Amino acid sequence: MAVRTQFENSTDIGVFSKLTNSYCLTALASSTNFYSVFESELADVIPIVHTTIGGTRIVGRLTAGNRHGLLVPSTTTDQELQHLRNSLPPSVAIQRIEERLSALGNVIACNDYVALVHPDIDRETEEIIADTLKVEVFRQTVASNVLVGSYCALSNQGGLVHPKTSRSELDELSSLLQVPLVAGTVNRGSEVIGAGLVVNDWCAFTGLDTTATEISVIEATFRLQGQTSAAVINEMRDSLIDHYA
Amino acid sequence: MSSVAGLQRIAPVPTSADFIDIVLNATMRKTPTVIHKNFKISRIRNFYMRKVKFTQDTFDEKLGKIISEFPVLDNLHPFLSSLLNVLYDKNHYKLALGQINTARHLISQVSKDYNRLLKFGDSLYRCKQLKKAALGRMATIMRRQKDPLAYLEQVRQHISRLPAIDPNTRTLLICGYPNVGKSSFVNKITRADVDVQPYAFTTKSLFVGHMDYKYLRWQVIDTPGVLDHPLEEMNTIEMQSITALAHLRSAVLYFMDLSEQCGYTIEAQCKLFHSIKPLFTNKPTILVINKIDIVRLSDLSPENRAYVDTILSDKSVTVVEASTYSEEGVMDVRNVSCDALLAHRVEQKLKGNRIELVANKIHVAVPQKRDDVERKPFIPDSVKDRVKYDKEDPNRRRLQRDEEQEMELSGMGIYSADTKKDYILAVDEWKYDKIPEFLNGKNIADFIDPDIAEKLDALEREEEALEAQGFYDSDESEMIDSDEEEYRDAAKQIEKKKASIKKISQEKNHLQNRPIIPRKKRHVTLSEFTTGMRKSGHDPLVLEKRAARMMEGKKEAWEAAEARDAAEAGASGDMDIDMDGEPSSASVSGKSRKSGKPIRTKSGMTVSVSSSRQPRSNRQMAGLATVGQSDKANELRDFAQRLPNRLAKASESDRHVPITRPKWMLAGKRKGGKTDRR
Repeated sequence: MAVRTQFENSTDIGVFSKLTNSYCLTALASSTNFYSVFESELADVIPIVHTTIGGTRIVGRLTAGNRHGLLVPSTTTDQELQHLRNSLPPSVAIQRIEERLSALGNVIACNDYVALVHPDIDRETEEIIADTLKVEVFRQTVASNVLVGSYCALSNQGGLVHPKTSRSELDELSSLLQVPLVAGTVNRGSEVIGAGLVVNDWCAFTGLDTTATEISVIEATFRLQGQTSAAVINEMRDSLIDHYA
Repeated sequence: MSSVAGLQRIAPVPTSADFIDIVLNATMRKTPTVIHKNFKISRIRNFYMRKVKFTQDTFDEKLGKIISEFPVLDNLHPFLSSLLNVLYDKNHYKLALGQINTARHLISQVSKDYNRLLKFGDSLYRCKQLKKAALGRMATIMRRQKDPLAYLEQVRQHISRLPAIDPNTRTLLICGYPNVGKSSFVNKITRADVDVQPYAFTTKSLFVGHMDYKYLRWQVIDTPGVLDHPLEEMNTIEMQSITALAHLRSAVLYFMDLSEQCGYTIEAQCKLFHSIKPLFTNKPTILVINKIDIVRLSDLSPENRAYVDTILSDKSVTVVEASTYSEEGVMDVRNVSCDALLAHRVEQKLKGNRIELVANKIHVAVPQKRDDVERKPFIPDSVKDRVKYDKEDPNRRRLQRDEEQEMELSGMGIYSADTKKDYILAVDEWKYDKIPEFLNGKNIADFIDPDIAEKLDALEREEEALEAQGFYDSDESEMIDSDEEEYRDAAKQIEKKKASIKKISQEKNHLQNRPIIPRKKRHVTLSEFTTGMRKSGHDPLVLEKRAARMMEGKKEAWEAAEARDAAEAGASGDMDIDMDGEPSSASVSGKSRKSGKPIRTKSGMTVSVSSSRQPRSNRQMAGLATVGQSDKANELRDFAQRLPNRLAKASESDRHVPITRPKWMLAGKRKGGKTDRR
């Protein structure tokens, strides 16, 4: 199920929220509309946590995490850390990282098994990522962009990457991640996938501008309706060609 | 509405009378209005020239805007260009715009002529008449543009009401005889609300509806009915259909009514298909048999069937049956035509080179196995049997948004989300416990770990052990070899040089920004003074001797005073009482010294004056040691004199005002203070 929503008139919802298989973080807003969209889909399944990181609302871009853990940047205050610890289940490890590239959501893209990271990230950070999130870590770029977290969205069932990723690069990344990958867009042609889309293994939230074609691609890619991605994409082939070319 | 059918929005065109009013009003508002016949004639001329020029500019701007806003037919998409041609007649349209352009040129010519005449206007009255004539001629020119302006306004209104047809998108084009059910079909498959009436030519222009199919947006164009006669005899309404058929890349749905309720025989309908068939080339064509609730294709008599078969003999034509009345087959028609068009468009695009750009987007990269680890998705069981949230369901889950809205409606204040409600803690009562951030000057968070003190101790012990082992010791002497020494030397020199440069530049700025002590007041030591003299080539020997002599006297006085002090200190332990006596004696001695000085100098001077009437030395060379210095001084003086020389003045203060109160200025009618005589 993919749900369209927006955060205070901004369609870049991936900036203001973080979704994993065992928890969901949302930014504190002036009303509870954004939170309630997640609440209606996820309540009683996983905890949904209202939080700030380092006093800012861009929680999705500053944090990285999966089912096993959550990484927060060094700007996170002790109180925020305590709040997160109290709110998340004990099985989720929380780790504050001293890293120069402090927007961890932009430099790390991960699912529960594999992570792609910015090529310039610290070696120590890389080890912490591997230990906390229990993932294999690969230094990679996506369509020659170093901000891998901004330009792709991953789940255990599939991944959507930057629309300019070439076929060979797609195949290579797919073999690294061991999930099927599709190049695509969100929010009516936006290439910052990470900003427009948050996804886990059973549901996805996208920006309000996302078109029907984009939603169909997202649902097929992440197997949200239970079908295999290849079959759906082949069925949509004509529409996609006519839409993009 | 920013654009209609690829046409930019056009501002309303005023009638010629309004136009003149607008422009003349603007001239009145935006140019000066006060003029007096006693003003200088050049000012009067300028006043009226400005009015004429401004009026012309305003006309120019407004007319230019009309000309630029109306679309140039040759630059538009062929479909739009020929549609506008059909609707407004290209020649008429171009003529109207041409006339406006001519008027613009004529007005600028009038302005040019009258400005030239105004240069020779010799009184306020004549200038005013010239201006009046100029504006009058401009108004006359505009009045003659009454018809083109009215026509253009009508065209503008019509253009703004044209449907927003995108010539490049996926389009279904519906055509056929009048009254065969074209508009009903459009109403069935889209949300367009086209008027449907049981008489011919209900639809008199193009209508557009939109629909979604296969994740894509489709545009459905309803055209007016076409009759079967030669192109030259077709009227404007029919020509719109023909234009759309000719220029839009689309799927063509040719509607036929086999029941002949539309008033045209099957034969006539088939003939029309054949006569407009050339317009269907390179377009997927679908023959739609409408009104099958009355007559089906299978019910036809053999001769009528033969007519239809002439159409079907062409293999590229697909036939679909439908009834917009019973809604039977309507969706079939839509699906068949959309699929045909999509296949056609994809085929065309695959031929082009743009397909390479999207190749990656229709490719699903399937991973190759790199190890035997199984990476399963993690979906909690509670997801599977979760009821889908439905906004309309009365028993739906209560969300925070609901609480917020209730609170707002009841006016109970501002809702603030409870972030602590869902804490996962060992004891629920702990949720709202107040925990201070700091306690006894220590950050609580630093002591969250109960073993923190032990861990710190362990670390410190390890550190101490390492230090004791000499882990951190390093012998500096070994480190520095000759190479490094050289480097350091060079670095030191560079640093020194940098510091000196910095100091110089700082001093420069320093002097600029602070009051400088005049040289006379500044304390100068003897050694500074004499080295300066030597440097500029004077011999300061005499001065040195004199200074030494004066120093002798001072020294004696000091020594005497010191001796006296010592004696007095020894005589009486009490210092305070003697204080008043001491300064007076010192001041006396100082005065005596000072009084001695001028006498000596005075005597020296009297000697020099009395000795000869001739100057003892060349005054111009005074203070200058060498010829070079004197040349330099002359040069500087001449330079400083350059400006006064040029202005034939002695100096800056040489300013002469011949008459302070000239009569011509003060006598007469004018009040004082109106004119500056300069």
